[in-house]
Amino acid sequence: MNDYPQILFKNRVVGETAFIDRFRANGGYQGLEKGLREMTPQEITATVKASGLRGRGGAGFPTGVKWSFFPADQPVEKFLVINGDEMEPGTYKDRQLLLADPHQLIEGVILSAFALQVSHAYIFIRYAYEECSRNLEQAIAEAKEAGYLGRDILGTGWDLEIHLHRSAGRYILGEETAQLNGIEGVRPNPRSKPPFPAAKGLWGKPTNVNNIETIACIPHIITGGPGWFINLGITQGGVGTKLFGLSGHLNRTECFELPVGIPLREVVETFGGGVRNGKGFKACLPGGASTPFLTAQHLDTPMDFEPLEQLDSRFGTAGVTVFDETTCMVGATLNLIRFFARESCGWCTPCRDGLSFVQWILEEIEAGRGNRDQIAMLKDQKKNITGRSFCALAEGAMGPLDGLLRHFEQELEDHVKLGRCPFGD
Amino acid sequence: METVNQTTGKDVLLPDDTIEAFRAKAADTPHPRELIVDLLRAIQDHHGWVPDAGIELAAQTLGLSPLQLEEIATFYDKIYRQPVGRKVIHLCDSICCWTTGGEQVAELLRDKLGIGFGETTPDGVFTLLPTCCLGACGDAPAMMIGLTTYGRLTAEKIDTILREIRQQID
Amino acid sequence: MPTLTIDNKSITVPDGTNVLEAAQRLGIVIPHFCYHEALGAVGACRLCAMMFEEGPVKGLQMACMVTAQDGMQISTLHPEAQELRSHVIEWMMLNHPHDCPVCDEGGECQLQDMTIAGGHGRRRYAGKKRTWINQDLGPFVVQEMNRCIQCYRCVRTYQDYCGGDDFGVMGSRNRLFFGRFQPGKLESPFSGNLVDVCPTGVFTDKTFRFKTRYWDIEEAPAVCPHCSLGCTVIPGARYRELQRVRAGVNRQTNGFFICDRSRFGYGYANHRERIRQPNCQGAATSWREALEHLKERLGKVVNEYGPLSVAIVGSPRSSLECQALLREWTREHGYRPPLFEIDNRRDRTARILAAGLGKQARSMAEIADSDCLVMLGSDPLNEAPLLALAIRQAVRNGCHVTCLDPRAVKLPCAASHLPVQPEQLLPAINGLVANRFEEFERQDQLFLEGAAERLGRAERPVLVGGGDLLGPEGTEALLKAARSLNAGLFVTLGGPNSYGGALLSEDGPDSEEMIEAALEGEIKALFCIEADPLTEGPARSARALGQLELLVVCDHMVNRTARSADIFLPTTAPPEAAGTYINNEGRMLPFGGAYAPGLPLRDIGEGGHPPRTFSNITTGGEPRPAWAILATLLQRPLDFDSIHHGLESDPHFAGLGLLSPGGEGRRVTDAGMLPPAAQPEFPHSAPEGSLPLLVVEALFGTEPLSSLSPALEPVIPEAAVQLHPTTAARLGISDGETVSLRTELEHLRLTARTEAEMVPGLLVAYRLRGTPLELLPVGKITPCLLEKGGNDA
Ligand SMILES: Cc1cc2nc3c(=O)[nH]c(=O)nc-3n(C[C@H](O)[C@H](O)[C@H](O)COP(=O)(O)O)c2cc1C
Ligand code: SF4
Ligand code: SF4
Ligand code: FES
Ligand code: FES
Repeated sequence: MNDYPQILFKNRVVGETAFIDRFRANGGYQGLEKGLREMTPQEITATVKASGLRGRGGAGFPTGVKWSFFPADQPVEKFLVINGDEMEPGTYKDRQLLLADPHQLIEGVILSAFALQVSHAYIFIRYAYEECSRNLEQAIAEAKEAGYLGRDILGTGWDLEIHLHRSAGRYILGEETAQLNGIEGVRPNPRSKPPFPAAKGLWGKPTNVNNIETIACIPHIITGGPGWFINLGITQGGVGTKLFGLSGHLNRTECFELPVGIPLREVVETFGGGVRNGKGFKACLPGGASTPFLTAQHLDTPMDFEPLEQLDSRFGTAGVTVFDETTCMVGATLNLIRFFARESCGWCTPCRDGLSFVQWILEEIEAGRGNRDQIAMLKDQKKNITGRSFCALAEGAMGPLDGLLRHFEQELEDHVKLGRCPFGD
Repeated sequence: METVNQTTGKDVLLPDDTIEAFRAKAADTPHPRELIVDLLRAIQDHHGWVPDAGIELAAQTLGLSPLQLEEIATFYDKIYRQPVGRKVIHLCDSICCWTTGGEQVAELLRDKLGIGFGETTPDGVFTLLPTCCLGACGDAPAMMIGLTTYGRLTAEKIDTILREIRQQID
Repeated sequence: MPTLTIDNKSITVPDGTNVLEAAQRLGIVIPHFCYHEALGAVGACRLCAMMFEEGPVKGLQMACMVTAQDGMQISTLHPEAQELRSHVIEWMMLNHPHDCPVCDEGGECQLQDMTIAGGHGRRRYAGKKRTWINQDLGPFVVQEMNRCIQCYRCVRTYQDYCGGDDFGVMGSRNRLFFGRFQPGKLESPFSGNLVDVCPTGVFTDKTFRFKTRYWDIEEAPAVCPHCSLGCTVIPGARYRELQRVRAGVNRQTNGFFICDRSRFGYGYANHRERIRQPNCQGAATSWREALEHLKERLGKVVNEYGPLSVAIVGSPRSSLECQALLREWTREHGYRPPLFEIDNRRDRTARILAAGLGKQARSMAEIADSDCLVMLGSDPLNEAPLLALAIRQAVRNGCHVTCLDPRAVKLPCAASHLPVQPEQLLPAINGLVANRFEEFERQDQLFLEGAAERLGRAERPVLVGGGDLLGPEGTEALLKAARSLNAGLFVTLGGPNSYGGALLSEDGPDSEEMIEAALEGEIKALFCIEADPLTEGPARSARALGQLELLVVCDHMVNRTARSADIFLPTTAPPEAAGTYINNEGRMLPFGGAYAPGLPLRDIGEGGHPPRTFSNITTGGEPRPAWAILATLLQRPLDFDSIHHGLESDPHFAGLGLLSPGGEGRRVTDAGMLPPAAQPEFPHSAPEGSLPLLVVEALFGTEPLSSLSPALEPVIPEAAVQLHPTTAARLGISDGETVSLRTELEHLRLTARTEAEMVPGLLVAYRLRGTPLELLPVGKITPCLLEKGGNDA
């Protein structure tokens, strides 16, 4: 059914994991051989830069650019951290990758570590992904056995050790600097930037942080070349493929590898099989819980960074959560805000206390105890939280609230007018 | 798995050889703090949850103060600092599960277990806790019991899961 | 040095200054919580918002997180900035209980101030508030967690600045608990700083609880009298009772913090046994009668034996004004030159230091900025606690610390410690200069060579010495070493004004000479001004004092000498009168008097309603400043200012008159003089099988004033003798066992404590007040016999 090129999912068979034999039989570790034997670290970085790959962890920062800031040539201890926290509701793509094909990540880690000239990489895996952790442990052992990890890899004279860090919950650990604290074993509040991790990261040493999917793309970019990778995308600026995790009121809530730039309608209708139970499409989160809602009028938007930013939303992690016409958007937003308020790390006031204030206001309105002043309060809370918090968590929390206020203010009014939730059963 | 020492009758928080292994690792790294989460998880795996004595043991093993351990232990929601049942049910209450009937599943679980969130069944088998997104959004509504995730929950499915777990335990 | 504009006012600030600090320099105070000068900026509270209108940074920013740069144009009054501030306060107040009426912080609460300043006035949140169960944190600090606004200042002070590891932050999101793992006493000797840094009423002073509102308290900036560092403190009193001490700010000495000895050791001023009335031969009398009686008896002695039969012992506890008048008085009448320290070792040490310190002097601020510290015979946490914090700050900035000491010196930071015998300190110092350590074992040689090498490489090295252990010879050697290594020098002394006394002593006789003269019967009248020779002086003092015809004691504490005085004149306690101390680096620090002395109302039950009877006499108000007693004897006007300013006629004290209490002070201009040559000491032949006992100061329980403070009782250490496990094993003694310790004069029972980090073969004991240990001289070796058991004591 999915005729688009399958790159990251080429080995995927749902319910199975490809370990080293199948991975190699399908061309695995060729990128690694090529990169380590034929290319210099600088060439790998340049290739990644030329590919236009943007980070898949949510912020979409160009990966090659990030790497080019990294002091790869400095003879100091440095680290690579692979972000597998994946706790933003609606996002479950990294898990699919690790369930299907852990070696793909390992190959990417080795190539990236070589490009950045680090000798210790940490893969950070969230608590709930124990199966993924086990897959990775096995893959790491196999890669070591095959001589892809350890000392003097492929005769380059370069060593690499991959450490697996199993976490113990909390969304904030996905924020890169909080994650560094988490690995170090100090309280995982985010750190202030600057200094950026590339200058002062793990234990104060230069550190590069990338998402799992981002790193999994690297071997393919090296084997296929930047031109090929760019052409996988179907929008003007869109490059590569992207894992889309579909969820919510769709007939098929699965994870698909689709080209960047694919129209939202195609994602929803062709891949998601349309809205469940024949209901109408009301809204969706286009890229995870922190991305402002899109509505039916946006269905023809290409799923890519720029086009979504033009709609004041974000591509995020491409976890698309769809809401049908019977959904109370106040209730949905309340659910999302509750998540963010509960997952606040507690460091800064707008997030720690501001979000629980917003949660309370929404609870009042949803319960039919709200008033018009409180709708105005939501607006001023949004204004004063957005861009005012220490890290991007609270900013992300304002995404859905922003969507609610822009597209569904009427629903707020209705709650107040009726003194109850109009969608209540 | 020995959880009570036969001679002292005391809770065994972690087998001696595991403690020794952590001690050796701690001595081997310039930053023993990086072992905190691993060690707390090891104690929890073995003992079910991390009591005060577990915090003290971890502190002593890593050469830190109990407070330094507690600062970390209390940050993470998957480190249990209070007694839990033999199996902890984490029911997802985030957005995708909410859209697909998560609240009804919660109701169902409360009914079937006869407990509310944060409580443990009288037989000490199950503790029910809410959790944020489990990364099983495609299989919503979802829950995690121990470290195993179950998705596309229905009343029948939940019955089967709970029954099987009870059988395993007996 | 960037120049920027804030609210249309321009200012040029040093590189690295943040915009919040730049605004403060302009006198623009923007509400802020998480920023603190000593703790730095962390951007957590999000209150200090300013609008950056032009320049390299644009938009609404947290001013504390932005480094000042050229061309910035900033508005603090921009509506968006004001709006955010009022929101931040509203958020902070969501869970805050409005319990100001019963909160000790009320009136001096930054949250109250910032709530008004931030422009939040009406509560819009009507939901539930989170509440906590509080912890018992021990005798000093009360916790009321519900009041917390999560600024994180307390943890940053306790852990980062002070190095404590038993207090911190637990939980996350809006459920943060700042406390201990389990309820219990806060272990850090700097725990009281929580009270000062917490901007709201979470942590308050337990000893001050429910006593007084800020606006009713009488305060004055003062100088801590409990060691030689000269930390700025602010004692506060009400109803004639000294009720609390909080930290003052002196960026050269203590910075923003003080130790718990200083904060909770104030009870001596309210001590119930304090004698507040003049008395003659134990019978209370009036000032007039007492002074007349004094003149008469003194006149008799002088008539009969000549003025040289009159001797004076002053003290390092006295103000410079008192010390100076004392010297004037002896000169005017031809009495013997005064002593300002009865402990000969401390006296000579202080005089040698004051004579030689000169350009090598360093402040605590400079220690915190040092890149290499070598400590010799210094145990800061026990001898001069704030020094330990300065050292910690240096270490946080990358400084390496080497510590040579017989004791198991504990520091709140990393340090390399080499246990050495007390007599090895001198060769170690000389070795550092010559980089030769032949007298040491190979292993120790390597250690010392490393220290010498680091000293040579350092840009801002400082040698830190403990005057008690170094003694005069060690101090002299350390001075030479500092000069030849071009290093800074910082030596702690015996009392708050040891340095002043040392300068005024000049090359006058030392206490040996005075005691000898007294034993010879040459001295007939002795004046002790805030001094207690029977406790602090050599053992022979008792016999020497026995020869007197007249013993006059002026003091505010009861002590051995005061109890045997013929005439006792009560003086004010340090917070009750103005004065000046000179700290151990030669810094002149004037202080003000916070309140007038009197019997605390809480002791006499007066002061209730209906109103008391009116009288212009204060019950218990008799104590006079020691300088005033001397001024009376000198027939000088009782005018503190003229005496204070008059000190400037001595070139040492030039510029003193320009200083004000609470300021940074300034170093004395001229060097002191060396003491006369020391009398040769006849080494006591140590009895067979004896061990050397070293008596030293402790954080609590040994300093004379604070040991009288009831608040400190729970933390006074047990009377113990510390010894190395190998020494203990040789004697068959185990840790915790009761042992019997016999010196030439004393016999005591103590608990044995093994201490693996101290030097073997030595015994160490704290000079605990109220035990026979207080009679043993500090820093000097006393031979003694140690045995198991000791039930026969
Ligand atoms: C609150 C918060 C949660 C985040 N969670 C994740 C996450 O789970 N996984 C991830 O890769 N990036 C996450 N990020 C983004 C990371 O901070 C970082 O930008 C990313 O790991 C960089 O990798 P990339 O450039 O490959 O995307 C999160 C950011 C924030 C602010
Ligand atoms: S926005 Fe503030 S409180 Fe929220 S997670 Fe980030 S740092 Fe923590
Ligand atoms: S206890 Fe006080 S100092 Fe600590 S975080 Fe709370 S308000 Fe700030
Ligand atoms: S929202 Fe429930 S698993 Fe993601
Ligand atoms: S003072 Fe600037 S953010 Fe707190």
